[in-house]
Amino acid sequence: MENHMFAQLFTDIASLWAKYHTMYLTGILNTLILAVVATLIGCVIGFICGILQTIPCGPKDNIVKRVLLKIIRIIIRIYVEVFRGTPMILQAVFIYYGMPYFFGVSFKDIWTVSIIVVSVNTGAYMAESVRGGIMSIDPGQFEGARAIGMNHLQTMLYIVLPQTLRNIMPQIGNNYIINVKDTSVMFIIGFNDFFAVHKMVSGAVFKYFPSAFLEMGGYLILTLVASFLLRKMEKRLAGKSNYELVNTDTLTMSAGTYSYPRDAASPFDETSKDYKGEKA
Amino acid sequence: MSEHILEIRHLSKTFGTHAVLKDIDFTVDKGDVTSIIGASGSGKSTLLRCINLLETLTTGEILFHGQDVTAGKINPSAYRAKVGMVFQNFNLFSNLTVLGNCMIGQQKVSKIPKEEAKNRALYYLNKVGMAPYINARPDQISGGQKQRVAIARALAMEPEVLLFDEPTSALDPEMVGEVLDVMKSLAKDRMTMLVVTHEMAFARDVSTHVVYMADGVIEEEGKPSKIFSDPESPRTREFLKRILNA
Repeated sequence: MENHMFAQLFTDIASLWAKYHTMYLTGILNTLILAVVATLIGCVIGFICGILQTIPCGPKDNIVKRVLLKIIRIIIRIYVEVFRGTPMILQAVFIYYGMPYFFGVSFKDIWTVSIIVVSVNTGAYMAESVRGGIMSIDPGQFEGARAIGMNHLQTMLYIVLPQTLRNIMPQIGNNYIINVKDTSVMFIIGFNDFFAVHKMVSGAVFKYFPSAFLEMGGYLILTLVASFLLRKMEKRLAGKSNYELVNTDTLTMSAGTYSYPRDAASPFDETSKDYKGEKA
Repeated sequence: MSEHILEIRHLSKTFGTHAVLKDIDFTVDKGDVTSIIGASGSGKSTLLRCINLLETLTTGEILFHGQDVTAGKINPSAYRAKVGMVFQNFNLFSNLTVLGNCMIGQQKVSKIPKEEAKNRALYYLNKVGMAPYINARPDQISGGQKQRVAIARALAMEPEVLLFDEPTSALDPEMVGEVLDVMKSLAKDRMTMLVVTHEMAFARDVSTHVVYMADGVIEEEGKPSKIFSDPESPRTREFLKRILNA
């Protein structure tokens, strides 16, 4: 009896796949492209917000700069609260059907709207992740950078953001996986993603469960692969766990004041007894 | 007559209502090795941080070759590139290798081409004995090694003055020597240095000038031989007695 039921399920799935696999695969591809592109753009938005929000500003700075920064911070705040505080499905409807009212034009291209909606939504979450990531960086890193003459942008680009990126990699992964799943709400404005295919196919042949079963598997594969790749990426960002000593570089050996490997008479010998016992 | 590199004039710094520095005046000439000594909380580190504009002064001015750097006419970043700083906690960039730490400032701030920056970085890393470690990341080397790399990073910018903020205070005792040795060799090369330190032997034997600070003012300054053997102020005498017998 049970065997029979499972057999029925798999025949149904097989027949669905045989008939509609191009549609399913196109859906998967669209979902994947939308999730990847929107997550990347969302990250860029998040990082820009992060840089803008952390521009140092003291009471000694001139009034224009202070007012401008204040306004920027308020705008980012509103952006984050609005897009984090409303459902993405509604944002999609809002932007898609709102355009004619505000600009007198409507988007022709569903792709453009979808990418905008998902990116802007992701950006709102990322802005907070990046802000948290920047706050977690040791203030000494900022000081070290400023002390060798870097300005805020250089400090951010070369020192702080690379470290932030490494620290918030898990959150970026989270956002990506959420996007893989949540882009499914874009069917509301007619985006042809993986879930939209389910709606179409099951509507046509009334095989709701077999199609849902297939979709579940499909989404799970997408997210599992993503988790795996993200872990690999995190490991790469963490860098090598060991390093090689360089003893043969000709410049290294000839340019300095003394040569390696160090000998006992070296003034830099770590076992030097100079100054010992005279610590304050 | 030697040239004044830095002139500190009437510098005061308050945090809220707490006056940390009160009307500080002193000059740094080319080739000077000035040690700033004094008890914890006397304002030594704050003074150094003010000089590098990491803290904004409340009043007073800092003249670099006669030009006021606090007036806003000089870009603070350009000024900082000429005044190197070595921190108590090293502050090496943890996303970069030892070599990268010594190159990034040259490349991005001084716009030096990569090859030249690398050569210069290697030259200074060699000077501090850290050239073999160019591929290591900061979290893979010891405290003394980190501080030597930090010194090389500052030197690679070829600054006119090097500020040291208690460079050996965060180090294990057996690593203090290697860092002081590097500083001694810099002093021998006539590098202009301003050193906040608790290492009295360094202040006495290596520096050319000693500043004793207490409660935010310069209590006494002069040649190390004078300060250490025949201090004028009773507070200086008291401090030295306490610290040298500790």
